[in-house]
Amino acid sequence: MERKIRGTWMDDPAHFRRRSRRDFMYVGLLGGLGLTLPEFLRMEAMAAGTDLAAKGSAPAKSVIHIYLPGGAAQQETFDPKPHAPVEYRGDLKSIETAIPGVRFNQYLPHTAKIANKITVCRGMSHSEAAHERGTSNMFTGYRPSPALEYPCMGSVVSHELGAQKGLPPYVAIPNMPQSAPKNGYLSSAYGPFSVGSDPASNSFKVRDLNLPGGIDDSRFTRRRNLLDAVDAHFTGSKPADNVGAMSSFYEHAYNLVGSVQAREAFNINAEPDAVRDRYGRNQAGQRMLLARRLIEAGTRFVSLTYGGWDMHGRIRDGIARTVPPLDQAFATLILDLEERGLLDSTLVMISSEFGRTPKINKDAGRDHWPKVFSVVLAGGGIRKGCIFGESDAIAAEPDHDSLSVEDLAMTVYNRMGIDASKELMAPGDRPIEIVKDGKVVDELIV
Amino acid sequence: MVRTAKSLFVAIALGSLFAGTAVAEEKLAIYPADVNLTSANDFQSFVLQRTLPDGVTLDVTSNAKLSIADPKIAKLEGNIVRPLADGTTELVATEGGATLKIPVYVKGAQAAQPISFKLDVVPALTKAGCNSGSCHGASRGKDGFRLSLFGFDPDGDYDRITRELPGRRLNLAVCEDSLLLQKAAGQVDHTGGDLMDPDGKLYQSVLKWVEMGAPKDSDKVAKPVSIEIMPSRVVLGGPNATQQLVVRAHYSDGTDRDITDLAILMSNNDNSVSVDETGKATSKQRGEAFVLARFDAFAVTNQVLVVPTQPFQPKKESGGNYIDDLITTKLNKLRIEPSEICTDEEFLRRVSIDIVGQMPTPEEYAKFLADKRPDKRKHFVDELLSRKEFAEIWVMNFAEVLQIRSSNQVSPKATLLFFNWLGERIAAGDPLDETFYDLLTSTGGTFRSPGANFYQNERDKLKIAENVAQVFLGMRIQCAQCHNHPFDRWTMDDYYSFASFFSQIGRKPGEDRQENIIFNSGGGEVKHPVGGRVMKPKFLGGETANTAGRDRREVVAEWITSKENPYFATNLANRIWAHYFGRGIVEPVDDVRISNPPSNPELLDALAGKLIEYDYDLKKFVRDICTSNAYQRSSKPNDSNRLDESNFARGNVRRVKAEILLDCISQVTDTEDDFSRLPKGARAITIPDGRTSTYFLTTFGRAKRETVCACESLTDPTLSQALHMLNGDTTNSKIQQGKLVEKMLKEGKKPEEIIESLYVRCLSRKPTEEERKRLGTALAEAKDDAQKRVVLEDIFWALLNSKEFVFNH
Repeated sequence: MERKIRGTWMDDPAHFRRRSRRDFMYVGLLGGLGLTLPEFLRMEAMAAGTDLAAKGSAPAKSVIHIYLPGGAAQQETFDPKPHAPVEYRGDLKSIETAIPGVRFNQYLPHTAKIANKITVCRGMSHSEAAHERGTSNMFTGYRPSPALEYPCMGSVVSHELGAQKGLPPYVAIPNMPQSAPKNGYLSSAYGPFSVGSDPASNSFKVRDLNLPGGIDDSRFTRRRNLLDAVDAHFTGSKPADNVGAMSSFYEHAYNLVGSVQAREAFNINAEPDAVRDRYGRNQAGQRMLLARRLIEAGTRFVSLTYGGWDMHGRIRDGIARTVPPLDQAFATLILDLEERGLLDSTLVMISSEFGRTPKINKDAGRDHWPKVFSVVLAGGGIRKGCIFGESDAIAAEPDHDSLSVEDLAMTVYNRMGIDASKELMAPGDRPIEIVKDGKVVDELIV
Repeated sequence: MVRTAKSLFVAIALGSLFAGTAVAEEKLAIYPADVNLTSANDFQSFVLQRTLPDGVTLDVTSNAKLSIADPKIAKLEGNIVRPLADGTTELVATEGGATLKIPVYVKGAQAAQPISFKLDVVPALTKAGCNSGSCHGASRGKDGFRLSLFGFDPDGDYDRITRELPGRRLNLAVCEDSLLLQKAAGQVDHTGGDLMDPDGKLYQSVLKWVEMGAPKDSDKVAKPVSIEIMPSRVVLGGPNATQQLVVRAHYSDGTDRDITDLAILMSNNDNSVSVDETGKATSKQRGEAFVLARFDAFAVTNQVLVVPTQPFQPKKESGGNYIDDLITTKLNKLRIEPSEICTDEEFLRRVSIDIVGQMPTPEEYAKFLADKRPDKRKHFVDELLSRKEFAEIWVMNFAEVLQIRSSNQVSPKATLLFFNWLGERIAAGDPLDETFYDLLTSTGGTFRSPGANFYQNERDKLKIAENVAQVFLGMRIQCAQCHNHPFDRWTMDDYYSFASFFSQIGRKPGEDRQENIIFNSGGGEVKHPVGGRVMKPKFLGGETANTAGRDRREVVAEWITSKENPYFATNLANRIWAHYFGRGIVEPVDDVRISNPPSNPELLDALAGKLIEYDYDLKKFVRDICTSNAYQRSSKPNDSNRLDESNFARGNVRRVKAEILLDCISQVTDTEDDFSRLPKGARAITIPDGRTSTYFLTTFGRAKRETVCACESLTDPTLSQALHMLNGDTTNSKIQQGKLVEKMLKEGKKPEEIIESLYVRCLSRKPTEEERKRLGTALAEAKDDAQKRVVLEDIFWALLNSKEFVFNH
């Protein structure tokens, strides 16, 4: 499906992959007569089982991805430029952090204190300046292509590592950002499960997770039995791939609904008030807290969004409003994970579709700028207290150690024990690398 | 030189061995039908193919006795003819008692044709993969060296090889040391590896050209004008059968060349047929494949079938129409037995959901089953076609691809007017070609001339051209924006010439701020990005248009909707067909290209012909589809059609589309929905705006109408769907709101009768004995009437959750 923005995909390496029969097939075909869906699924399954051995020893067992939709300004967060002229540095101050000589924006005091536990990549760089393309790029590790939709990292992790303890392997809090890619060419089975409402809200409830009013467990069991009785005739006489696929989702739903432990993972009210307060009773705090509950219970990849960062005007106010809750929640999340002994097995990442222009614009804001911006990584086999890469004096371009989307994705997958140079099978018998032409960044890992 | 006959064959009458099969006589054929050699280094390979009485073909080239009638004129090397002296002779082949002769014409046998950059070097680089997208064909090249993708710009390639970094790529003194050759042969470090064997033809072509001093082609060098792949029909029996293919190119100077070893060959279905680089096709499991040959800007395919070798005896069947004749012919070729005709109950439910998006009511169910007329299905189809919902479904389907959706550019009012305009045209039964002609030529305010919103939703001229091609012609031409389409015939010239039709669309705000006015501005051109030529409007695959003094959109709309346009009627016919079968004859329906051929071209042509014959009357056309035997097949597979997806040998089990599924749930629960900006009780299929949605519709994959792609409407299952059906308000609340069980109990119906009635409502059938027993057991556990009601409501819930309900089958 093509997106509205046009003009750069000609440069997309994936668009021009090596010439072979798989290009001939194009997207979305299951190979006419020869290749049936079960066969395709079997091939997928085979592809999935190839490097399970490597996973046991992987440092990261799960990922919490904190996504700042809209494009967070690097200057007003993790890469302030206090020595740049005012039209570049903006009028916010910077503060010292736990790493000597490293400064963050004034609204990040909590995070500054734990700077020695995290890694900031200040040389993140790509070339997609439109929201949907940048988002797609950061979520998949691929530049968007009109010829193929790539799966996002969470879907790949879900595909590679599978579900455990009845929980969906990949959860979005509260929803995937607009126009973010989902399962891409992978089966919808690997798509994110969206909790659908905001955990900061008093009436927070995961949509359709709990039995409706008046239905208790025994009545639900009866319903299931009745449904089995009604389904038997049809599924027995008309075996079809799509019917089987739907049945497997029903099985998954039964596991989720039927497991108290799994349902409880979504119950943020079970957290003590002190913990909820510590994270902050706001969107950032409660979303990160719910993410922690989920990974603790067995979810592999949580993708949460926070704030609106598309600050084309009055960026000073936007930052003052948006950053403090992020600061408190993020610092708490890192400390909480550490206290629970989960930090080393949980990779936390803060990213955004791009950064913002070096110079403050006429509306006192900053515009889209993918050339250089910052990504934060922590835990899960990532180095601690490291600043990787630098932007130049006005945060316009990487000065050294720039980080590509491919390398970032490759590194995250590597920490999860996934060899991202491996090919997955896209419909039409097209093997596609999880990440193309990326390398694991040694400086980022321990 | 006559080239009309592609092959020469003799038929050997053997009588009818297998009654009913399409081919009843054995024949032997030789491909190509003539050999034309025009220089000392010219050559031509050929193959002998025997067609057995049951249709299976054999490559018998190596079994044949071969000779040249006049050995002074030409000689044979295996299956290759080479020239010796000018003149005319014959190639004589004897096999299985039959003898075939084809003419061999030799001219210019004394002089070798000099190596040409365009005719030899670029094809060699293409065949070796040097200019593919992942290598030097990438837009920025690779490792500092760039070639045009698949050689679409040979002049540029010549400059880059010979003039860029002078002295680096070619060494005219020690030719073998040219970096171009050393890299290609892997003699020095090369990311792409070892691609050309120094003893091979590709390397030798390039080397000879360097030895000649790497000359630039004169302007007189012939251009390829067409290519052909032979034999045109290959039916391999069982696995591991082979057939050598021959590919020949024809040039503007009237010569031809054997390009079997230069063309890129690939199969679209390696599970059935694989093809190697020498052009040998090998069969695997039963099925069909298209082998594509690509050379220069040309791509052609031939169909290769793989059939089981066991004798096949097709069954005779009564009824049906032209659709069935054509499907049966294809199935017989593949030796596939179609499934039985479905039951009345199955038909009733299937056709109701497909034509009107509703379940049959209990009354319709009783009436239909009681109807004893032999042609009652036809009558019922007619009844459904006369209902307004028939038109509403098609308005929804077309609204998806016409992107009827409010946005910053299109106000909700304009969106509603656009939707209603389309609705009125379709409900009135206006011929579709006229409706789309009017849409494409819409001029004026987007309120008063709502079709004009088509040009307001998308305002980029290139994108409009792409959308028009995709929606009305079923083809995706966007590849050709940046390079010649590698798997289709479209070149960049075609793309920009077609886009030129949409370069003069004027827009200005109307009196009402929400209205926009679309008009013919009379100015504006499209330039080719390479060289900046102004591109004259030219029809895709057709001629340059005369647009002088006219709105260019009018000219292109006339061409698109004309009866001679080879794509318009087939695209519409295919889209309509796909709605009723869950799959197009070309699939996806908006991806027509040489390398994605229709599964049954004769059927598609016949349907397109009917659509034109019926003057694009949707109703009449759908009647043919829904009364065909093919539409009425049971979805229960048999052993021979289990693996087949594309030949309509059985009913296709399809998840019901989001809007229709919600409407059906509301219908059977006797409840109403309340969509934003629509009166309460409006059905989901009538929602005008792609932006209006509900949790249910979004979760079940309703098209957002953000693009013209038919892929927007999704029926893939998800966890959220399952949870919503199990625990969500669509099922649970609606059962409560509709109070159906309560009402039936009040009417004094027995629980068994209520179960039966719910079954009929939801599944259009009565419960089986087994089901009655199992549901009865659950019911028996209920102690009082209140509990009985609860169990019955749970049965209702189970029916709504059943796969049999959410799928059309």
